[in-house]
Amino acid sequence: MAKIVELPRLSDTMEEGVIASWHVKKGDKVKRGQVIAEIETDKATMEFESFDAGEVLELLVPEGEVMPIGTPIAVLGKAGEDVQAALAARGGEGKAPQGAAPHDGGAHAEASDEAVEGSRSQQGDAPAAAPAEASPGRVPDRIAASPVARRLAREHGVDLTAITGSGPHGRIVKSDVEAAAAGGVTASPTVVAASDEADERGRPFVRRPDEPQKLSQMRKAIARRMGQANAEIPHFYLTAVVDMDAAVGLREQLKAVLPVKVSYNDLVLLAAARALVTHPEVNAYWDGQTIVRRGNVHLGMAVAVDEGLIVPVIRYADQKGLLEIAEQARDLGLRGRDKQLRPEEMSGSTFTVSNLGMFGIDQFAAVINPGEGAILAVGAIADTVVPKGGELVVGKRMKMTLACDHRAMDGASGAKFLATMRDLLEKPLAMLA
Amino acid sequence: MTVLQIREALRAAIDEEMARDDRVFVMGEEVGHYDGAYKVTEGLLAKYGEQRVVDTPIAEAGFAGVGIGAAMAGLRPIVEFMTFNFSAVAFDQILNNAAKLRQLSNGQFTLPIVFRGPNAAAHMLSSTHSQAFESFYCGFPGVKVISVATPYDAKGLLKSAIRDDNPVLFFESEVMYSVKGEVPDEEYLIPIGKADIKRPGEGITVITWGQGVPVALAAAELAARDGLDCEVIDLRTLRPLDDEAVLASVRKTNRAVLVYHGWPYGGTGAEVSDRIQRLAFDHLDAPIERVCYDDVNMPYAENLEQLVIPSPERALEVIRKVAYYRI
Repeated sequence: MAKIVELPRLSDTMEEGVIASWHVKKGDKVKRGQVIAEIETDKATMEFESFDAGEVLELLVPEGEVMPIGTPIAVLGKAGEDVQAALAARGGEGKAPQGAAPHDGGAHAEASDEAVEGSRSQQGDAPAAAPAEASPGRVPDRIAASPVARRLAREHGVDLTAITGSGPHGRIVKSDVEAAAAGGVTASPTVVAASDEADERGRPFVRRPDEPQKLSQMRKAIARRMGQANAEIPHFYLTAVVDMDAAVGLREQLKAVLPVKVSYNDLVLLAAARALVTHPEVNAYWDGQTIVRRGNVHLGMAVAVDEGLIVPVIRYADQKGLLEIAEQARDLGLRGRDKQLRPEEMSGSTFTVSNLGMFGIDQFAAVINPGEGAILAVGAIADTVVPKGGELVVGKRMKMTLACDHRAMDGASGAKFLATMRDLLEKPLAMLA
Repeated sequence: MTVLQIREALRAAIDEEMARDDRVFVMGEEVGHYDGAYKVTEGLLAKYGEQRVVDTPIAEAGFAGVGIGAAMAGLRPIVEFMTFNFSAVAFDQILNNAAKLRQLSNGQFTLPIVFRGPNAAAHMLSSTHSQAFESFYCGFPGVKVISVATPYDAKGLLKSAIRDDNPVLFFESEVMYSVKGEVPDEEYLIPIGKADIKRPGEGITVITWGQGVPVALAAAELAARDGLDCEVIDLRTLRPLDDEAVLASVRKTNRAVLVYHGWPYGGTGAEVSDRIQRLAFDHLDAPIERVCYDDVNMPYAENLEQLVIPSPERALEVIRKVAYYRI
């Protein structure tokens, strides 16, 4: 029997995915463990290794189409096996292949001897493998819907084929039908509003429609998590100004002697890791019932990528030195921008640092990552006129803003943490000891 | 109201019924001079004497048969099994005599007898002493089966069981005899065949009984943190089943999870699941799931036993799944 390959769950939070690219085509022979596709998840683009061996009988979805976990994406088997029968046997949730009939002589002619051997014996034992003509066209798709969803759809006159299911394997569930009934999937066509808006000479302005954008998986994840954070977490903000003169001097010296380029953000990460050890009450979060102090210091660092933002994690940052942090931050940042990070490299952070200094931002307030109690937003180092010994001098100053979850900590705890960070950054040599 | 342990509530039920009706008597291993293996019958020998509180030899087939004969002759025996594991020795008496004689005699005999004792796994008693017997005793007609989880239910249902003219298998729990709860001072009866909503809710129906009840209630608390509102229904009587209580809840929530001590193959969990899908099919929004023992003989090793016995955490996972909840 041919095997149906389903879209796998490649990260904890993945709900949908996209085939970024197929690495095989119909008729190819696939070994177990061979990469057959690259799949874009909410976090990264990952290589998908086949769990099964066989010939690619059909690719069921094109590149670029969003689908829920569990969607059939390909059929593997022995040459000549009936793709339609395999899909029908599965329960018909799958999308039947479009165009080509199940038997495609051209591709099969190229199959190896072994595959031909297999197909012969298969046909010998199983006359049920019917010729293509017996089942032309598409197998009618059965829509996966829960019984109560079907009943409500009947009662409200909702067309199930017009709904996207949110349940497992795309099953249409009660809430989907209720939403459709409330939102009116059967609603009347859009009414074009008559516009009399015109310029002073009576010429109508050009009207352009709003365009809902196709969301990447990452954008959906950001929208969901940040919406949740803003709705649930009572944020408060503390800003401190740091004298960066010593840090700038130290970095110039390190640049000359170290094999790795150390950035100011690396110094901030190092200081944050050290300060979190001193102030464990900031390395803590509200879990809905109580405050959980995190045992480890895993630093998230926000990295801007084309589609949005990822937060790779420097694990056990409190036990690492400046060089290790600098190397790792650089590596995570580069691979993150190339979407090459594994999901586990982007989860589990206990505190996050976000830096917009390179964009010239003086200061900003960040949204706390759910599952953490605080986030540090770091601005640019700027030449600033400051009073010194009765005179006005120019010094390097940096503003950083700590956003805290007020359920997990109070102003004083956040302030003490920021003060420790400031001390560390103002006397950075101490961190290298 | 008085706060009693389950063992005290059971004792109060037996005591009141023995005082009310001199045909009622207790029989079993260690029920008299030792005051009961789990002290349910403590003090009854002193109060009612050896004719009505009878210590038996270790011979379950024998004393179960004596009890059945006594019931046929017009008495109302309460037969204690030290645990229901030992009722396996008396299974033929219960299956072929207790359950059938009323019908075989065309109603000339009634069988007012209660077989009671602890059921299902306790703690590290290994496979032969950790068995859940509802699959067996609910599997044939002619008996009623009760499983209690609170002192209130224990007293009210045991009194009803003693007054019933049919054989009743009455399941208690070794690990729950000390569970305390309020019991009314005045007399009351709980009708056989009525489930009880132990926790009202709107989101997911959690059906349970016996030792599953505290597990289900704890899981419901955990689920509430996720915003999942569980309605916990304690069946209390496993045969006859209170279909209507279960179906009314499922029609409201569209989802059902069973949490119980027992094996997955067949049995009461499968029966309830069947009735829901058959009688409330058009109300289901998710497959019915069960949280119960794994399909293995109970391991002795503590760590393995913990894996087999349903925990609130395991139940929570299944509740989330049925609620289509995404972390």
